[in-house]
Amino acid sequence: MMTERFETGFHPFVLPFLAGMVFVLGVCALKAVRVVFELNKADRKKWLLSLLRPDLILKNILDIVLDCLIHVRLWKRNRVLGFMHSSIAFGWFMIILLGHLEVLMYCPERLSTFYYPIFFDFFIEGGQTAVISRLMDAFLLIIITGIIIAFIKRFWSRIVGMRRTARPSFLNLVGLYSLWAIFPLRLIAEQYARAGDLNAAPWWAYSTALCVFMTVLPFTRYLHIPSEMLLITMRNAGVEISSPHRGMARVQADSCPNCGVCIDACPMNADPANLRHSTVYLTRQLRRGNEARIREISNKCMLCGKCTSVCQVGVDGPRMRILARATEKYRINLHFAASDVDSSAIGESGGGKSKGALLYFSGCMSQLTPKIGRSVESILRKAAVDYEWMDRDGGLCCGRPLYTAGRLKEAAELIERNEELIIGSGAGTLLVSCPICYREFREKYRLHGIRIVHYADYFCELMDRGRIRLDKGDICYVYHDPCELGRGCGIYDTPRRLISKAAAIAEAPKSRVESVCCGGSLGSLSLDFEHREKITRASLENLYASRADAIATSCPLCLTTFSRYSDRPVKDLAQIVDEQIIL
Amino acid sequence: MNEIIVVIGGGIAGMEAVGTLLSLGHTPILIEAGPKLGGHVASWHKLFPDLSSAGELVSRLQEYMKGANIFLGTRVISLNRLADGYSLKLSNGMVINASAILLTTGFQLFDASRKEEYGYGVYDHVITNSDLEAWLAGRADARVPKNPEHIGFVHCVGSRDIKACNSQCSKVCCATAIKQAIEIKEKFPYARVYCFYMDLRLFGKKYEDFYVNAQRDYGIQFIRGRVSEVGETRDGALQIKAEDTLSGKPLKLRLDLLVLMSGIVRNDSIRELSLMAGLETDSDGFLRSVDNEYSVVESNRPGIFFAGACTGPKTVPETIAEARSAALSAHRYLQRTTIIR
Repeated sequence: MMTERFETGFHPFVLPFLAGMVFVLGVCALKAVRVVFELNKADRKKWLLSLLRPDLILKNILDIVLDCLIHVRLWKRNRVLGFMHSSIAFGWFMIILLGHLEVLMYCPERLSTFYYPIFFDFFIEGGQTAVISRLMDAFLLIIITGIIIAFIKRFWSRIVGMRRTARPSFLNLVGLYSLWAIFPLRLIAEQYARAGDLNAAPWWAYSTALCVFMTVLPFTRYLHIPSEMLLITMRNAGVEISSPHRGMARVQADSCPNCGVCIDACPMNADPANLRHSTVYLTRQLRRGNEARIREISNKCMLCGKCTSVCQVGVDGPRMRILARATEKYRINLHFAASDVDSSAIGESGGGKSKGALLYFSGCMSQLTPKIGRSVESILRKAAVDYEWMDRDGGLCCGRPLYTAGRLKEAAELIERNEELIIGSGAGTLLVSCPICYREFREKYRLHGIRIVHYADYFCELMDRGRIRLDKGDICYVYHDPCELGRGCGIYDTPRRLISKAAAIAEAPKSRVESVCCGGSLGSLSLDFEHREKITRASLENLYASRADAIATSCPLCLTTFSRYSDRPVKDLAQIVDEQIIL
Repeated sequence: MNEIIVVIGGGIAGMEAVGTLLSLGHTPILIEAGPKLGGHVASWHKLFPDLSSAGELVSRLQEYMKGANIFLGTRVISLNRLADGYSLKLSNGMVINASAILLTTGFQLFDASRKEEYGYGVYDHVITNSDLEAWLAGRADARVPKNPEHIGFVHCVGSRDIKACNSQCSKVCCATAIKQAIEIKEKFPYARVYCFYMDLRLFGKKYEDFYVNAQRDYGIQFIRGRVSEVGETRDGALQIKAEDTLSGKPLKLRLDLLVLMSGIVRNDSIRELSLMAGLETDSDGFLRSVDNEYSVVESNRPGIFFAGACTGPKTVPETIAEARSAALSAHRYLQRTTIIR
């Protein structure tokens, strides 16, 4: 039988909790409003409309439950970490939910007090025998298990499979310790109350811990709890980062839980001195508004995209960095699009020499690796494909190096000029061998129905249609996924299919999404040669671990970079295919 | 004197050392992995700065070392340290107990195909300095066109280039490029010859005169700047991009022949041998002398000596001088140990 212990239903110890609650709700609401106003008009409209669409509402709810409460993505990556985070998030959520249910069932008139569900056992006697109460006890124990793991991880991160974790700032530590304190204090206070001891001291402690946590929340990584929900709705609405600091960038920075998964993922960690350039520190500096560090971190990154692919909340580190770079003021304006190009190969002044045919674009990097273009040409000839080589004698840059350097206007000029040339050629398909160019073509070009295809996909098609046949050699290759092709464009399977038809194939321990950047990336503006060498060697070690005889890749930059230090042959996919074609 | 001195490597350093040891009364054994003596020099045409014949030098050395024990086509399979010397097992089955060893294992040329942007092995008319030397010496080479009008030389291919994993200067390529430019100009008097260089390091006797001659008497153009990329046009000619860093202008040139001055890098085939002997490697990858000023020919192991390009890039006269010096050091070393015994 449950009875109210106090006629008034009030005790002063609830005040810290209430104060914290009002504060955190107020600050978060203000932050949310600011973010919404920072969005550009189109994005804001898109987002507001998305909140009315039933399908997106459902998706938002589902994503919030799966990502914010259960941490499905983290479970997939690391079960211990997944359990740790979901036990606290989901457990706490269930306690709050069940607490409200309890109040709703036994004393619905008290629901408006806010604090009854939190301090139920103090105000109500005899509640502990109910099923709900037992369930809540179970969830509390699960949370405490999670906190024990968190405690161990704090001092011994390897036990949860993390080599390195983010260094917490002082305020984050306050948040962390107050969060850890909440649940044991609740347990203790409840035990007192259930034993009939109405000593208010443990309840004061519990309420104070809650107050401290909620007060520091908006200024610490725990801001990710409310922020991630906003991020999910905005992402589902199709909002993208369009400013380096504001709007979507701010939501993403605020949504970073500082879990540090990106630190272990970052290829720059081959030298511990570069750990401080991980995305987790970028989001931290973005929150602090430390421009000097934002610039340093942004310029150093190779934009391999691995942090984004492993990120639990999907923080788009590369995009944030590119936009930060775009704020740099340059004294000299360059006009690369004005360079003379010999377009005779593709029909001068848009004569449409190659009507409907295949136009091959090898890119600037392939000028330094002539074997790739040669091999592509040879394969096309052997497959009797009618083609024109657009930049055989040199052409315009695709624009991606300028884009990644933050020179968006110059990149756009190049893109426009290239679009003219390509459309003017009358080609039906644009074949690209360089993944850097390929990604730029796919993401930034409007080519009015001209098919853009990477050679791995294209050669696979030729193979499937019987236009080329491959003889399986006895060399064993390990395939290195170039960042721009794998994480950038999602092409993982066709290169492997081609290699497995032409040779034996082995897998490196870290491959596909987890592939380690070769270190030669054009993405970094300030990484020096010694650090790059360390990254290359670390990336090679990963490939050597497959025990393959040779390394295969499909990017001219990876090819050049690996060839420098590799102890075994490095070949481009096109070379391998060309060598193994049966005539 | 009945102690055996083994000389490993039958290039000019090994030959000179063996000749000197013979004249000092020793009975050296020369081991050469290849089928003939003379090493790199044997396949060259002429030597700078006097343009004397490389073949004649090798013949002279052969005369000088007449009577020595020579094993051609033979490698050292294993090397063990003994209390008073070394035991070597050879690929022909012989076991030799040597009191001293002289390493004259030389260098290898940087593999120019590793700088893929220059297109060696990809384009039809790109050759290396050693290919050109062989062609000048009379070997046919389809890559050298009948009547080239424009010929380019690229200095420092694989030298002073951290991207090629060799930051050191190869010492001899500047003078070699000038020599070869003059020689090819003599073969094709109407061709225009360009040399693309970073620095010209013309430190040796008469090298400067050589350089002035090349410009004044042969009209060879020296352009300061590296070639950034090489392409092949539809008609099979080469098209290069470079920068003239003195005038600050980018250049685009059509060439009929491009010669890459491959640098001198350590000889990888002696890696195992140096490990077995416990020899140290210097930071430039070459074998490490006790010091690089006074005791260049001495190794960190008693009784093992170096001569020639196994410790770094050397010119021909330097190599010859070092070979004599190393032979003398080995001779003194044996005298000393004999007296002690």
